[in-house]
Amino acid sequence: MILWLSFAMLVALAVAFLIVSIFTSRTAPAASSRDDGALSIHLDQLAEIEADLGRGVISEAEAAAATGEVKRRMLAIARRSDKTSGTPSRAGRGPLILAAVLVPIAAGGFYSLLGSPETPSLAFADRAEEQAQATEIAGLAEKLRIRLESDESGGPAEGWGLLGQTYMSMGRVEDAVQAFERGSEQPDASSAIFSRLAEALIRMDSGIVTPAAQNAIDRAIELDPNNPAAVFYNSIALDQQGRSGEGYDNLLAALQSADGFAPWMPSFIDQANRLAERSGRPPVDVASFAPMAREAVPGPSAEDVAAAGEMSEEDRSAFIRSMVGRLASRLEEEPDDLDGWLRLANAYTVLGERSKAIDAYEQAIVLAEKLPESDPRRAQVQSGLDRLGAGGD
Amino acid sequence: MTPEIGVFALALALGLALVQSILPMIGAARNNALWMGSAKATAIGQTVFIGLSFAALMRSFVVSDFTVRNVAENSHSLKPMLFKIAGTWGSHEGSLLLWVLILAAFGGGVAVFGRNIPDALKARTLAAQAWISVGFLSFLLLTSNPFERLYPPPIDGNDLNPLLQDVGLAMHPPLLYVGYVGFSIVFSFAVAALIEGRVDAAWARWVRPWTLAAWISLTAGIALGSWWAYYELGWGGWWFWDPVENVSFMPWLLGTALLHSAIVTEKRGAFKSWTILLAILTFSLSLLGTFIVRSGLLTSVHAFAVDPERGVYILALLGLSIGGSLTLYAWRAPEMESGGVFAPVSREAGLLINNLLLGVATATVLFGTLYPLFLEAITGDKISVGPPFFNASFVPIMLPLVFVMGFGPFLSWKRADLRGVLQRLWGLLLLSFAAAAIVWYLTTGGPLLAVLSLAMAFWLFLATLREWAGRIRLLEAPFAESVRRANGLPRASYGMTVAHLGLAIAMFGFIGSSAWKSEQVVFVSPGNEIGIAGFDVRFDGVERRQGPNYLADVGTLVVTRDGKPVTTLFPERRFYPVAESNTTESAIRSTLAGDLYASLAEPAADDAKPGAWTLRILYEPLVNFIWLGSAMLVLGGGLSLSDRRLRIGAPRRSTAAPANATPAE
Repeated sequence: MILWLSFAMLVALAVAFLIVSIFTSRTAPAASSRDDGALSIHLDQLAEIEADLGRGVISEAEAAAATGEVKRRMLAIARRSDKTSGTPSRAGRGPLILAAVLVPIAAGGFYSLLGSPETPSLAFADRAEEQAQATEIAGLAEKLRIRLESDESGGPAEGWGLLGQTYMSMGRVEDAVQAFERGSEQPDASSAIFSRLAEALIRMDSGIVTPAAQNAIDRAIELDPNNPAAVFYNSIALDQQGRSGEGYDNLLAALQSADGFAPWMPSFIDQANRLAERSGRPPVDVASFAPMAREAVPGPSAEDVAAAGEMSEEDRSAFIRSMVGRLASRLEEEPDDLDGWLRLANAYTVLGERSKAIDAYEQAIVLAEKLPESDPRRAQVQSGLDRLGAGGD
Repeated sequence: MTPEIGVFALALALGLALVQSILPMIGAARNNALWMGSAKATAIGQTVFIGLSFAALMRSFVVSDFTVRNVAENSHSLKPMLFKIAGTWGSHEGSLLLWVLILAAFGGGVAVFGRNIPDALKARTLAAQAWISVGFLSFLLLTSNPFERLYPPPIDGNDLNPLLQDVGLAMHPPLLYVGYVGFSIVFSFAVAALIEGRVDAAWARWVRPWTLAAWISLTAGIALGSWWAYYELGWGGWWFWDPVENVSFMPWLLGTALLHSAIVTEKRGAFKSWTILLAILTFSLSLLGTFIVRSGLLTSVHAFAVDPERGVYILALLGLSIGGSLTLYAWRAPEMESGGVFAPVSREAGLLINNLLLGVATATVLFGTLYPLFLEAITGDKISVGPPFFNASFVPIMLPLVFVMGFGPFLSWKRADLRGVLQRLWGLLLLSFAAAAIVWYLTTGGPLLAVLSLAMAFWLFLATLREWAGRIRLLEAPFAESVRRANGLPRASYGMTVAHLGLAIAMFGFIGSSAWKSEQVVFVSPGNEIGIAGFDVRFDGVERRQGPNYLADVGTLVVTRDGKPVTTLFPERRFYPVAESNTTESAIRSTLAGDLYASLAEPAADDAKPGAWTLRILYEPLVNFIWLGSAMLVLGGGLSLSDRRLRIGAPRRSTAAPANATPAE
């Protein structure tokens, strides 16, 4: 509200700047002309010559020549001045008033393209809670790292995977790469850890699939040909090798073989359409695979939470709770995120917090009702509630 | 909320600029006072809105609002407050915002202070200024929005570059920008004059204060930049012929030429078309500089080609404004009446030589700056054109310039008496060469170019003083008479004297610190002694200290001369853990005679020699004369700017007769 009020004040100020001359011009002194100005400067030059002569800087003859020249120039101006005199007109308010209308409209148009009125400002000093949370997560991640490193068997791959995921969400991509690499060296390394390693490597090299990333992708597909993340990153790799069509085919195959809706579908469709443009294949329709789908929000998933099983009981529950807490507080700000609510409900179910899980599912129900009958997420909500023994209300 | 107000204010400023770019121009053509008059309010309005937007960005930096991408990428909550503020113009987007703010402020300045400028000329000038505004405001909004939001915000900002945390560097860009964006208004005056089809003495005088203001800031900005490089970078050099330095130096050279050719237009009505061309070219070089620095072309031609959006936009602006103004020039300039005639030996001729030499010098620098870029674009080879090229090409052009500079002020307008002038000056010329030769002898043979340069510096210094003495008839008339004359000289004339002396003094600095520099890079262990330029420097070892956000290795150097203690120097090498980078803090013993400059480089590998360090010691004679001279250039410009004659202009018809010019200057 205050924002729009400030905008209104700015607009008023701009309009004032545009129309003020209509009111001031009536009282303003008559316009100054070019010729009068030139004359007064030439008069000053004459005075200067006289002063120079008085100081003895120039001789009498030089002064006389200079004076003659300046006077000739003054005469020329006077002669021209006779030809072009005329009192300026003061009419024509129309264009100014039109401008006073159009300028705010144009500025509003620009603002609608560039502005984000819904985004709040946050001074660093006002974010103490968030900073404390970040410090806490950093501390927990550090504890986890120490535990994993002191593990004589090299630490479980899933533990390293969780550490890597945490680093990714903190924006510490290089640390994440290291963690995933350690995890991928373990005997129990899964396909998921290789695809995450590939993701981290690609992000570290700003989108370029390096040979190391390609290796990780290959390993991930070898371990699980249906790992969606691996298929996705492989399509990027293929695209960068000039084999966009092949990547497109792989993506479509994965989409078709999927059983119902999955959160990864929207990003698959975006990527497939990007590749379609480059390989001349037909674009795919979002609705044909996942109606009303939202882009999946990255963050720790239920699998990650489960992976925390390798930690000590105390660390694990603290870790999970901080992750879940963050998801919950984000959903309070963005309550329209159905996938988010489903994930939250799932997390509470795993944590054994039944009433909170039911609350989350109930939020999801409201959103799911807007979906078409065929959307798989409707069923997902129902089955979740059934599992908690609270279905059917 | 604040960042959103910043965006909206910018959009409104663009709207005002659009109106200002059209209406006053039509008003001037149709002799409509209302439309012409509207330029004043819109020019002030533009300044207010862009100023508001700049303040909004500055606030976001001050409170570390990381929901603004620009702040998140270029600041950090731990930065000292001064550098948070300076961060406002540290990034690409912020510096462009400052650019348009200064652009608008010069327009607003003409609107507010240009009361002596006739209405039609003022309206056209402000409209031309608004064309540039429209171009750059749309560039800013469409490709480089400084208020782009980031949500959720990162926990802390990204930048803590310790090297850039320096007061000199923080203040350097604003001054430099005031200088080279300031030439925009001179450009607009030139465009307005071309459209009007009239350039005369009055025009030259109306433009002069704006040219001077821009020139003064540019001079100060360049001098401050070189001072920063000298103190902070730890190399002991003050000018590196780096492309970033060159792009600010080129407008300075041409701007200096413009300042001088405008004098001829003012006094004699000659050089009209040449002055207009210089005004156009000077600002074109400023635009070229903005393009080279802002397009990423300098980092690598390749980087520019990968993300060309911004570069192409500026290039289009550059082509439009330079191409447009030169076309206008080609079309309209031939219609201008030619001015007064002059003999080959005259003040005009002297200034013409000054202009030609400055033009050639600019072309030399331009060539040296752009050649590597073209070569990389065409062949892919990366080369750098450095000091050897510039010293060999630029310096020989400047020497004749300085030679003529000594004579110029003695020559009278139109037709000068060369023999008379020579009679008065040959003694000084001889004296200058003798002085240079003596210095050469004393220092046992410097390079020829240095001796020649030194002779020219002495010549300029002495001739300038002689000219002043002649004007006040020092020793020719009774002393009281001289004092009276000295008081009566116009400020502009003092401006010239001070600025010319300043250049002579800066030249002593240039020559002394480059031709007679002593430098030693040595490997020292505690207790070692190094002799340099008559000083004995004893290294007492290095101690580790904890700074506020860095670790410092502080060396102790005891300096003695002939066994007597002189001073103790503490050069530092700092390590900033957050940014993981090192900086050198040189220790300098500064006197007018020269600087003893010490900086610590790498420590020796531990196993080789414990406690040993690489130490760099320089003695730079006269180096402070550079900044003393620069300060005098700025002071000279300021004196000239304060001359009362610059305020004479177009009288309002309703006020009294214009003949209030008093002959007593």
